[in-house]
Amino acid sequence: MHTRYMRILKFDELELASRRAFFCVSDADLQRLAGLRPFAERHTKEVVDAFYELLLGHPETAKFFPDELAVKHVKKLQSEYFLQLFEGRCDLQYVENRLRVGAAHERIGLSPQWYLGAYRRYLEVLRGCLFADYGPAEAVAHLESITRLVFFDMSVAIDTYIAANVDTIGRHQLAIRELSTPVIRVHERILLMPLVGTIDSMRANQIMDTLLLRVVEEQARHVIVDIAGVPVVDTKVADSLIKTTAAVRMLGTQVIVTGISAPIARTLVQLGVDVSTMHTRARLQEGIELALEMSGKTIVDRARVGS
Amino acid sequence: MTGNIPILKIGRTLLVSIQVELSDAVAESLQNDVLSAIERSDAKGLVVDISGFDTVDTYVARILADMAKMARLMGADTVISGMRPEVAATLVRMGYTMDEVRFALNLDEALALLGHVLAK
Repeated sequence: MHTRYMRILKFDELELASRRAFFCVSDADLQRLAGLRPFAERHTKEVVDAFYELLLGHPETAKFFPDELAVKHVKKLQSEYFLQLFEGRCDLQYVENRLRVGAAHERIGLSPQWYLGAYRRYLEVLRGCLFADYGPAEAVAHLESITRLVFFDMSVAIDTYIAANVDTIGRHQLAIRELSTPVIRVHERILLMPLVGTIDSMRANQIMDTLLLRVVEEQARHVIVDIAGVPVVDTKVADSLIKTTAAVRMLGTQVIVTGISAPIARTLVQLGVDVSTMHTRARLQEGIELALEMSGKTIVDRARVGS
Repeated sequence: MTGNIPILKIGRTLLVSIQVELSDAVAESLQNDVLSAIERSDAKGLVVDISGFDTVDTYVARILADMAKMARLMGADTVISGMRPEVAATLVRMGYTMDEVRFALNLDEALALLGHVLAK
């Protein structure tokens, strides 16, 4: 998952260098952080305890930790996470690690605001510890190095959320695209495209492209586009229908639009949409009958033929 | 000169199969050649097969549409056949729909549309 996020975010050596430069994370900072490792180890428990005090004190975040055992488990993970700040490294491996943790939080639904608030608590507690252990000048310098890497971490954390969303949206769009434009062969050289749901411009394009391809593939003489499932027919939808009809016509195939309810008919006329080039019918059944009729076929009642 | 675009005559139908990308100049001279061919013959129908096109601009599309209208004035019905999906999509997106022209999926249907019966 996190490697995919690295890809989505285009997080490579170049991006790493640019981001480190922007957050002023220098090699000297990393060296200093590595030097602070014993200090960090001394205070890990204090920092992590304060961190969870904050999280457990708020009902929105406390709900992520149902029992003592869960708290104990995350405290251990948090200690590792905390100590990684003092390893003196900030390379792609480090970023990937941070992304992994961010992705885990995103997955359980811990939103960025809690993440950022928790980082603030980190810095607050660390500041206290630094000024207790070191002289003011030294403490300030140490705090600056820590702050730089923490802000770098925060940027990566925020990116995780963005990457996760981009990833989700991408997968949804793909699913929607596949689901939203089915083309069904209802009879020899007669196709049906039932449209369900809102039609935006992207989907309108998709509808046209899919339909044109299928018409040629199937060498269809007639195409029925059923819009009974389209909740709102406005000028944009009407326009896309007209365009699709025109494009299909240029292939040598006729379009029949069905599912024109009374409100849709009213809207189309009130919008001044010229639908004179389209064959339209109120119900799908009539559309199919019309298509058959135009291909010189008809549905007959067997009982009547027999008599 | 249309160069390599032959205009064939089958019965009373003229058949033009365009298998190359049409430049503006070639399209214009094709229009001339087709109209003179109609004038010379007793053609009642014209089929223009464009299955070889994978792109077309509005200028060439207009020349073809105009050709159809001119042929109609001279008494020959025109059917354009074999337009590819991507060409149709492009034309429509450019706002050009060739409303005056008739279309067919393929050559067979174009001839059928013109009521042309080939000798069996």
